[in-house]
Amino acid sequence: MWRLIESWDASPELNMGLDEALLEDDEAAPTLRLYTWSPDTLSLGYFQKWEDVAHKDQAGAIVRRITGGGAIHHQAELTFSIVLPQQHTLFQGPVPLSYKRIHAALLDALLEFGIQARLRGDVVLQSDRNGSGMCFHESTPLDVTWGDRKGVGSAQRRRAGRVLHHGSIKLGSTPLEGEIATVEAALGSECTPQNFAPVLLAAMEQRFAVRFERAQPSPAEKQVARSLGQRYSSEAFLRRR
Amino acid sequence: MRPDDRHYLPSHEWVKSDGDTVVFGITDFAVEELSHGNEDDLVYCDLPEPGRKLIQGETFGEIESVKAVADLNSPVGGEVIEVNKTIEDHLQVLAKDPWDKGWLVRVKPDDNSTEHLLDAAGYEASVGEAEG
Repeated sequence: MWRLIESWDASPELNMGLDEALLEDDEAAPTLRLYTWSPDTLSLGYFQKWEDVAHKDQAGAIVRRITGGGAIHHQAELTFSIVLPQQHTLFQGPVPLSYKRIHAALLDALLEFGIQARLRGDVVLQSDRNGSGMCFHESTPLDVTWGDRKGVGSAQRRRAGRVLHHGSIKLGSTPLEGEIATVEAALGSECTPQNFAPVLLAAMEQRFAVRFERAQPSPAEKQVARSLGQRYSSEAFLRRR
Repeated sequence: MRPDDRHYLPSHEWVKSDGDTVVFGITDFAVEELSHGNEDDLVYCDLPEPGRKLIQGETFGEIESVKAVADLNSPVGGEVIEVNKTIEDHLQVLAKDPWDKGWLVRVKPDDNSTEHLLDAAGYEASVGEAEG
């Protein structure tokens, strides 16, 4: 049994702080978080240089993640995080294998909506662009795509035997990311995070052979999240590189 | 068998004595976990500046592959006296030769204690199950 913690329209500091609180706590139960952001937020990758990301003034808020990869404009998307011990079967072995396992569930969920998504492989994507610093404009062979565009951003942090996996499933388009793959464009109709979430949960339950139980973060986790969360939007952390 | 002239952490860092200093690095297993055989998949590495005091077991740096950021943990405590600057710009060196040219930092250790570390056989056993 895994915990399912839903945080709809949460602040960027809470979203990032709670993910790190779960990563730091050796005793934390296996947890899947589903969340959205308020206000819309641009998140930079941990190693990105501040000046390498354009249009930072066009998002409602800015944070730097502790996971790697490029910048993401968190708007019109369902964000999820998975936090588990590294020994868990989902994360055993090389990092790319863990992406394959998680992305298999995402492909299943997208197929439920009639979207024939696939891993990029050797295909050159129409959404790839040089120099924007945006996650959705760069791709690797294991990225989830449909219509030859990238539709899911993913990144991990591995610390002290535990893993935090971030995923951003694009439901609609955002001004900073342009013509990437979105669920709404493929469907031709609206798809909210609350529409997509139950389908994703069912796919993960099937693929990961787990059951989810809705829960709230414990008071201690909330306290740690609040404390850790302040750093993510601080000038010092934003401009660390 | 991994080199038996050094000690290891279960989190895949190694430490090797060299005169009155020690050298830190990461193992081939760590490289494989992060890059899965693609040497260009290692993209960034942050290492400490000389003079920084390291605490045994705590993070001394970070490394990013295309899809994950991982902490680097200090096998022993001490003061950083030299950093392999080549690595920060040329991570292929680390991917190709994690045991020698891919060393990360040179440290003046607080003491010579290694009881808390694994020898080569112990490390082999710790990763043996994962390697199958």
